[in-house]
Amino acid sequence: MKRRVAIVGYKLIKNTKASVWTRERIYYELSRALLEELEITRDKVDTFIFGSNDFADGRTISECYLIQRIGAHMKDESKVEQEALNACVYAWMRIQSGEYDTAMIGMVSLASSQFKPLLVQNHVLDPVYERPRGLINYYSAAAFQARAYMERFKNFTESHIARYAEKGYRNALKNQYSLQVIPPSLEKIENSEPIYLPIRELEVAPYADGGGVVLLASEEKAKKLTKKPVWIDGFASIEDTYWIGERDLVKLDGLREAGKRAYKMAGIKNPEKEISFAEIQTFFASEEPIIAEALGLFDEGSGAEVIEKGLSEINGKLPVNPSGGSFGGNPMGGTSLLGLINAVKQLRGEADDFQVKNPKRALVHAQDGVCAQQNTVMILSTGGEK
Amino acid sequence: MIHQTVEVVVPISFMYKNRVGRYLQHYLNGLKEKKILGSKCSGCGRVVVPPRSACGRCYGVMDELVELPQEGKLVNWTVCYVKMESGEFKRLESPYVIGMIQLEGCDALLSAKVLEVEPENVKIGMKVKAIWKEETTGDYTDLVGFVPL
Repeated sequence: MKRRVAIVGYKLIKNTKASVWTRERIYYELSRALLEELEITRDKVDTFIFGSNDFADGRTISECYLIQRIGAHMKDESKVEQEALNACVYAWMRIQSGEYDTAMIGMVSLASSQFKPLLVQNHVLDPVYERPRGLINYYSAAAFQARAYMERFKNFTESHIARYAEKGYRNALKNQYSLQVIPPSLEKIENSEPIYLPIRELEVAPYADGGGVVLLASEEKAKKLTKKPVWIDGFASIEDTYWIGERDLVKLDGLREAGKRAYKMAGIKNPEKEISFAEIQTFFASEEPIIAEALGLFDEGSGAEVIEKGLSEINGKLPVNPSGGSFGGNPMGGTSLLGLINAVKQLRGEADDFQVKNPKRALVHAQDGVCAQQNTVMILSTGGEK
Repeated sequence: MIHQTVEVVVPISFMYKNRVGRYLQHYLNGLKEKKILGSKCSGCGRVVVPPRSACGRCYGVMDELVELPQEGKLVNWTVCYVKMESGEFKRLESPYVIGMIQLEGCDALLSAKVLEVEPENVKIGMKVKAIWKEETTGDYTDLVGFVPL
């Protein structure tokens, strides 16, 4: 029988363009603050999981340096070389084994000040064909994806992409942990420099320094540690094949499958009705309708209508990225952990100015690779009847 | 109290020698002869370009090399305005079109430059054909791109 696992606490730093704190110090401050809030010492944390990327960290086995900062020395520890939400999946599994009752996950990325994200992204590409040819990368692939959506659903135009970006910036301003940039006007976004048309500069999520830590616990421990546990009801993680020329970039089969499995595990039959809001991971504004539709949150091809009618706004029928998502800052590799934390905040009623009304169930999404080759979907809830 | 941050710049330079493998070796040899080669799956019959050994759908062995036609259909496109230099985008003086091309009999799309057409005249579905360097050497640049038919 499966153990129920809850998120019992979180700490994060505000996204910035250049963190004054080092990554080591961020882990130290966040971990200590979380332990203090939960009134426990690190001895009560059974295992630690980092989400990280060695290329981004500039070190191999990069966590070896961070272990004593998060408090994992002389303890059980591991790392996921993928988006940080996968560290949460890993931690869930460890607790499921029965060997562990508590797990701390952490991810800090200094994607704005420490390294060049484009360089790291470029090293995702196949080294013997794509890289030497220089045609396919995250940006050109996103342009193909957006174009394919526009071609399939003709009422969706370039200006709708700008509107999704505008929503992201606008929501992010309500989130005090975001980059806090003054939202550019729709006109400014629409007229920003083209990168790979139809993708323009301001339709790409801005890179940031940021990160956080989260503590997971088994049901019995969770109830002792917090009055406001947020339960992990289901998740799934699916990889598609690498080559974008062989994938339907609009249908996103891998994501669809991940969604289907996560819903099944969480007992969700009708996501459109049962999900209160979603925090999905996008690098480009154009991805939002495509991902939301593949997850069954909105009808296929409704991207234009959803943004025009405000259906995914904070007060809309199904808010998507009420926190602003990556448009509040993209600490590459850790963005999905912020999505997770922002979803927990919502479910605990701690989302302040970007709080959605009475949320019961949240969807958190993470992706890796060119055009979301890998997708992880997680369903969280406040509990209720189970 | 420290008010200023000090940074140490640490460059990393790794050099990797990646073997392309026999399938891409065939592909590059094909380019030298101005041929576009793909591989066909013995399990589900799918044909992909560039050729590779494992089928991304049925996981069958793609052990048959097939020569693909040099004409096809443009199914997707973008205009590239940038090039990457040391991890940063630099703006190009002359943006160019990149397309995803469906060659007849091939299930995967081939990415390539689309030349001799202005972005405003690009149409999804338009017929295109391959153009080659005059003197080929067995390099990816042998296949210069595609032009409208």
